[in-house]
Amino acid sequence: MNPAAPKQADPPTPLLEAHRLCKNFGGVRAVQDISLTISAGTVFAIIGPNGAGKSTLLNLLSGVYQPDAGEIRFAGLDLVGLPAHRRVRHGLARTFQKIRLFKQLSVLENVLAGYHTRHSIPPLQYLLHGAAFRADARRCRAGALDLLEFVGLAHRAAVPAGSLAYGEQRLLEIARALATSPRLLMVDEPAAGLNGAEVAALLRRIANLRERGVTIVLVEHNMDLVMTLADRILVMDYGERLFEGAPGEVQAHPEVIAAYLGAEAL
Amino acid sequence: MSKTSPNAAAQSRERRVWYLIAAVIVAALPLFVTDSYWRTNLIVCALNILLAIGLDFVLGYAGQLNLGQSAFYGLGAYSSTLLVLKLGLPFWAAFAIGTLMAGAAGALLSFFAVRLRGHYLAIASLGFAVIIYQILLNWISLTQGPLGIYGIAPPPTVAFPGLPQIAFGDLRNLFYLTAGFTLIVYVLLDQMVHSPIGETLTAIREDEVSAASLGIDGPKWKAFAFAVSSAAAGAAGCFYAPLVGTLVPDAFFVSESFMILAMVIVGGMGTLVGPVFGAVLLTILPEFLRSLGDMRLIIYGASVTLAVLFMPGGIVEAFHLLRHRLFPEGEMR
Ligand SMILES: Nc1ncnc2c1ncn2[C@@H]1O[C@H](COP(=O)(O)OP(=O)(O)OP(=O)(O)O)[C@@H](O)[C@H]1O
Ligand SMILES: [Mg+2]
Repeated sequence: MNPAAPKQADPPTPLLEAHRLCKNFGGVRAVQDISLTISAGTVFAIIGPNGAGKSTLLNLLSGVYQPDAGEIRFAGLDLVGLPAHRRVRHGLARTFQKIRLFKQLSVLENVLAGYHTRHSIPPLQYLLHGAAFRADARRCRAGALDLLEFVGLAHRAAVPAGSLAYGEQRLLEIARALATSPRLLMVDEPAAGLNGAEVAALLRRIANLRERGVTIVLVEHNMDLVMTLADRILVMDYGERLFEGAPGEVQAHPEVIAAYLGAEAL
Repeated sequence: MSKTSPNAAAQSRERRVWYLIAAVIVAALPLFVTDSYWRTNLIVCALNILLAIGLDFVLGYAGQLNLGQSAFYGLGAYSSTLLVLKLGLPFWAAFAIGTLMAGAAGALLSFFAVRLRGHYLAIASLGFAVIIYQILLNWISLTQGPLGIYGIAPPPTVAFPGLPQIAFGDLRNLFYLTAGFTLIVYVLLDQMVHSPIGETLTAIREDEVSAASLGIDGPKWKAFAFAVSSAAAGAAGCFYAPLVGTLVPDAFFVSESFMILAMVIVGGMGTLVGPVFGAVLLTILPEFLRSLGDMRLIIYGASVTLAVLFMPGGIVEAFHLLRHRLFPEGEMR
């Protein structure tokens, strides 16, 4: 039907599926009856006005909160009840809207902390460092520096994370999350506070990650970024699903324009 | 470039040199300190270092304030002594059990306090210290309460074939035993904090939610740090009993926890070497001030207050600042 649709040849494999998720905070229905299916290797964007429940949905998917109702399956695995740290080992990683770096640690140490689940050190060598310990340290260090290179922060490796500029901190959070070697990376407003050039660089990096096979969940207010990158877009309002579709469909949808794109689109 | 990629192998070699220097100092100390009064003080120093580095592991690295150190110290002392006296266990078996019991108590406390953070965990551990003190004081059939347990024997004499016997009634030998043990614990802790375990604990200290997003199981690692910390205190207690020869509950009153905390803060928490200096300073300095009586407590209080106000990084930070002044362009590390 749609001649522009690029890769609809074979049915995409769902990596993450959520079914009728609900989360209330006291009287606030932050997430209500949200279902979604995210295909492997795609960018899935979640948009909506402030307070729509986007971050809460991300917190449900990453395990910071447990849902009041609903199901979450990741590569066939039931995630409900699984604490956040256990989900990481299965390949979920995330960044935070309100930046949560280890401010007193160096930029490099922040990324190294992301290697927590990926060390291969015989237990006794934690007490007495040997050859295997040093090999592991070299491997993680090289990997961490590569990730810093990827986000353009290699020259800042030695400074405390807290002393980075705001935009750099957002990039460091991405590098740190990537250190866990995720299959699914969830980023919560990565472009907030970034200038035009930084947004353009961020866009290239996210596209690059998708090419490497990382599935992306993108919560973002910057419509240029969303419309350029997203394969699918979920529009939320008041905790509910307003619409879901491809970028072109979202831009054409009258309710979405009214609720969210508003004056900007008109 | 050397700043962003300091050679890990060189650092690890440098650490080993420091371990060696420390071993030489331990070996040499009794040669210069010959009277029994000061040798006893040296042993007390070694035990306080053990208590302080144990506390620093959980406080300075994992960021959890453990005010129960006096209780774990007492648990180690009483349980090892009672196992020898009442069950006739050999000293070293009692030592192992006493140390493990203190460690297990620490892990349990942390496990139950897992939802508590910051002040609440501190208060829970303080409550634990009060409870243990009250038990030591009031379970008279077991601990003899305030009357105390007397005549505790030193660790058994060691005899290697063809070598002279090593008796631990001799203060020099007891110093080598306690200081040697403390040095080994120091090395093990130092290796751990300079491994991914150190990264994990500091990540929890800095932001537990963030740490969880990297796969770090906060409650598990906090319990681990607590167990290590309290086991170190337990081991110190196992040595304390034969050193003093007498056990009374007052030796493990809650104020002891604050003494140990003072050592860590004055020395500089979050570095293992800081609490060593703090423990030495706050053990030896008061000996010079004995004539002042309770003024000693004021010295403690004043030094902690001054450290917190003017030098939150403690002696270690003061040392770094001094080095910066003296050698402005000389990069450290
Ligand atoms: N921990 C919490 N406790 C109580 N209420 C919460 C909590 N987290 C979110 N909420 C509420 O849930 C609703 C959804 O918040 P959420 O942060 O998910 O929105 P959002 O779509 O991410 O908004 P924004 O674009 O401003 O980031 C809001 O009304 C918010 O006040
Ligand atoms: Mg949000």
